[in-house]
Amino acid sequence: MTLNLCVLTPNRMIWDSKVKEIILSTNSGQIGILPNHAPIATAVDIGLLRIRLNDRWLTVALMGGFARISNNEITILGNGAEISTDIDPQEAQQTLEIAEANLSRAEGKRQAIEANLALRRARTRVEAVKVISY
Amino acid sequence: MSSSHLSIFPSHKLSHLSSHSSLSSLSSFLPSPLAPTTPRPSTTIHCSLRDLRDRIDSVKNTQKITEAMKLVAAAKVRRAQEAVVSSRPFSETLVEVLYNINTQLQTDDIDVPLTKVRPVRKLALVVVTGDRGLCGGFNNAVLKKAESRIAEIKVLGLDFIVISVGKKGNSYFLRRPYIPVDRFLDLGNLPTTKDAQAIADDVFSLFVSEEVDKVELLYTKFVSLVKSDPVIHTLLPLSPKGEICDINGVCVDAAEDELFRLTTKEGKLTVERETVRTPTPAFSPILQFEQDPVQILDALLPLYLNSQILRALQESLASELAARMSAMSSATDNAIELKKNLSIAYNRQRQAKITGEILEIVAGAEALT
Repeated sequence: MTLNLCVLTPNRMIWDSKVKEIILSTNSGQIGILPNHAPIATAVDIGLLRIRLNDRWLTVALMGGFARISNNEITILGNGAEISTDIDPQEAQQTLEIAEANLSRAEGKRQAIEANLALRRARTRVEAVKVISY
Repeated sequence: MSSSHLSIFPSHKLSHLSSHSSLSSLSSFLPSPLAPTTPRPSTTIHCSLRDLRDRIDSVKNTQKITEAMKLVAAAKVRRAQEAVVSSRPFSETLVEVLYNINTQLQTDDIDVPLTKVRPVRKLALVVVTGDRGLCGGFNNAVLKKAESRIAEIKVLGLDFIVISVGKKGNSYFLRRPYIPVDRFLDLGNLPTTKDAQAIADDVFSLFVSEEVDKVELLYTKFVSLVKSDPVIHTLLPLSPKGEICDINGVCVDAAEDELFRLTTKEGKLTVERETVRTPTPAFSPILQFEQDPVQILDALLPLYLNSQILRALQESLASELAARMSAMSSATDNAIELKKNLSIAYNRQRQAKITGEILEIVAGAEALT
């Protein structure tokens, strides 16, 4: 059996083709999905999505959302997603530093929440780039 | 791009000519869809040959500009529509998933903050306008609708606050300090997820903190290239069914899209339309929830909110461009007509002058013999 993965963001379709296996960071931890997985629906956290094509692993930085698995069809709806090869490492690192600085300066609950989210997004992007480098 | 065109207008020496006839001011090129268009009075043109020549030149220039703006708008409409279409798979799947999860959850008693219906004491109105003028009554129509909605809210004795999106709306509300505005937002050229996210974050925090009890979105719905309607949607509380409804509860989700394509026909650019219908795949009814249903809805509903706002922004942009296109198209037509009338007057005068000169010469010659 083959597994079909479809990653959608509000702007465009990031991915729509067959994969061997994926690892997804959900709200309750990472789960691996192989063909013939039981149908589930899960909320997806801000984190890495690892995709295996034959023996090659690809990393996608996923900005949270929702995933549905049924009948060997995986549909991921995300706020945003970037394949690691599309991310500029320097730019990602800079964004991370800015986000860290913003968090330390944040005042009030609302700002703190926003800064925290921005930091997590930035960290995920940096992680996605680093995974590929080793 | 079109702003660079706008700056050209004042450089034409229209002002010194305007005393001759009201026709030479630029506003007369533009149709005013709000006011019924009065038939053009057949004015007789009194001015010297040189003035006429200048006016013909300036009308020619204006015509070129409006023609160019029309084409630019037409090309941009296409881009705006492509953006709508490329976001379509996402919103379609989202609505479908939301609907299915809701049918599964209907028996459960769940409490999601975004769907909570509270007695309304204060209302937030998100008004989406364009960034530029010269697009007929587009911005006016939205702002008029906003005014009438505000009047309605006042009659009901409710408190309200406005969130203004777009430069035209911003300057309108800035000039009216008696309308409370929470935030002024600007959009770029093409609405992106980030723009939608900014609005969604604002609306979300207002609603969740119970500062407002209802959020309405006022934007221009794109019906077709020649028709667009300002509509009001209830954005929050979200209807748990996952469909967008207007204030009367009528569903306004569009099932099919019309696509416009710019083509050439007999040497002129024209616009073709085609209808696209997206099929909805079947959904497997048995699903396990990895987390609490509440958590899943919490993840889904903000996504839904964002995609709704993004969609509204995209439709508003498409409507603006379509409005500009038709405004510029009639401006071009008017310019052509004016140019024709002026040319006739010019030719008449020139002929009369030549005839007069010949008569003088003949008379002079006759007097000599």
